[in-house]
Amino acid sequence: MTTSKVVGVGEFAVSSNPAEVIKTFALGSCVAVIFLHQPSRAAGLIHVALPDSGISPDIVRERPGYFADTGIPAILKAMSALTGSANIAKGMVVKMAGGANVMDANNTFNIGKRNILALKKILWPLGMGPVAEDVGGGFSRTVTVSVRSGRVFLSCAAKGEWEL
Amino acid sequence: MNRQQKEAAVRRAIGDLPLLSGSASRLLSLSREAEHELADIIKIVKHDALLTSRVLKVVNSAAFARRVEIHSIEHAVALLGEELVVSTAMSEAAGLIFGKKLAGYAAEEGELWRHNLKTAIAAKILAGRARRPVPHELAFTCGLLHDLGKAVISDYLLHTAGKIRQAIEEKKFADYLAAERAILGIDHAEAGYELCRRWQLPSPLPEACRLHHQPALAPPKWRPLLYVVHLADIVAMMSGVGTGADALQYSLDRDYEQQVDLDENGLAEVMLRVEREFAQAAEAF
Repeated sequence: MTTSKVVGVGEFAVSSNPAEVIKTFALGSCVAVIFLHQPSRAAGLIHVALPDSGISPDIVRERPGYFADTGIPAILKAMSALTGSANIAKGMVVKMAGGANVMDANNTFNIGKRNILALKKILWPLGMGPVAEDVGGGFSRTVTVSVRSGRVFLSCAAKGEWEL
Repeated sequence: MNRQQKEAAVRRAIGDLPLLSGSASRLLSLSREAEHELADIIKIVKHDALLTSRVLKVVNSAAFARRVEIHSIEHAVALLGEELVVSTAMSEAAGLIFGKKLAGYAAEEGELWRHNLKTAIAAKILAGRARRPVPHELAFTCGLLHDLGKAVISDYLLHTAGKIRQAIEEKKFADYLAAERAILGIDHAEAGYELCRRWQLPSPLPEACRLHHQPALAPPKWRPLLYVVHLADIVAMMSGVGTGADALQYSLDRDYEQQVDLDENGLAEVMLRVEREFAQAAEAF
């Protein structure tokens, strides 16, 4: 039987249990980064809400996944611990979804775009740039990752489901 | 049904909706009176046995993790604050409307309540950033009501969500509101206005429903409030709490900068606060 691990805003989950799917609902301007570690067949998903922890360092302790700059190191640490891999970047496939924007957004309201850029700036130097992404636009995506197959599915009200 | 018939049917449906309870209606009206205090709220709640028991249930819910059980309504109202008491009254008095599954928007049961509650919390927080004073309680109440019109028109929008989204992508409609008007002759903002009028709610509550996507059209007196509600709605949608297919399918009125002081960091702070308060409030109901 398949069980779901549901990831809330600012949370992350990692799993190597093939009977699990990792799921996060309605991303809006938030971004989900999906990590698929090929050598161990482990998977991880983080639901990042904001680019920079500078605005509220006190939340970092409680929920590092809330911000791009603290969330990525936190989930990679958890992936390393789960897989026992010292060089977690090796054999890692990264995908990204979310970062929607409202129509006619000005710079201030382009949080989705800022989230995506902040995440990429962190992932690229680690050699983990996303190989697939479905980002931007005006719709709120739900993400489901199958640990068994490593396949990632997106869905959205009135748009149905598609694979990333 | 053609468009005229659909519009007439929507207006009839609004006329057929049950009236609000006296206490809910009085609590909503109170939020627009500048000089009201907690004692006025306690008085209204005390006269409604159902509401009293509901308020006590909310104050003692697991969301607040209290060590001792609260038995007195005075204490409960003081602890919850006006906004949560108003929310309790509305979920009690109009629960069927708020809880309705918005099939016309491909949304699930409870999504309208969650979206309106999150918008209400965002409006209360954004009111503190308005360049001219906007009462927090009033902003909250307007946020709580703003999308109620969707509960009325949803039934007449069945099987349209996918087509509307595609038409907006193809620029056939400026936004979801325009599509609703083209199909029904009335949009959710106008339907919300009519609903508030049916409930005999005082200004600016009906206007907050009618103009939350077009705050520039509000009379100068209510314009700062309307911009606050407009932005709050967008903040709720951006945070992933919308009402289905229409999420993020509305334009941001960039003139908000004249009314609300909000830069990148300010918006991030607002979103963070909204997330935390919403998590607790949503659990309490």
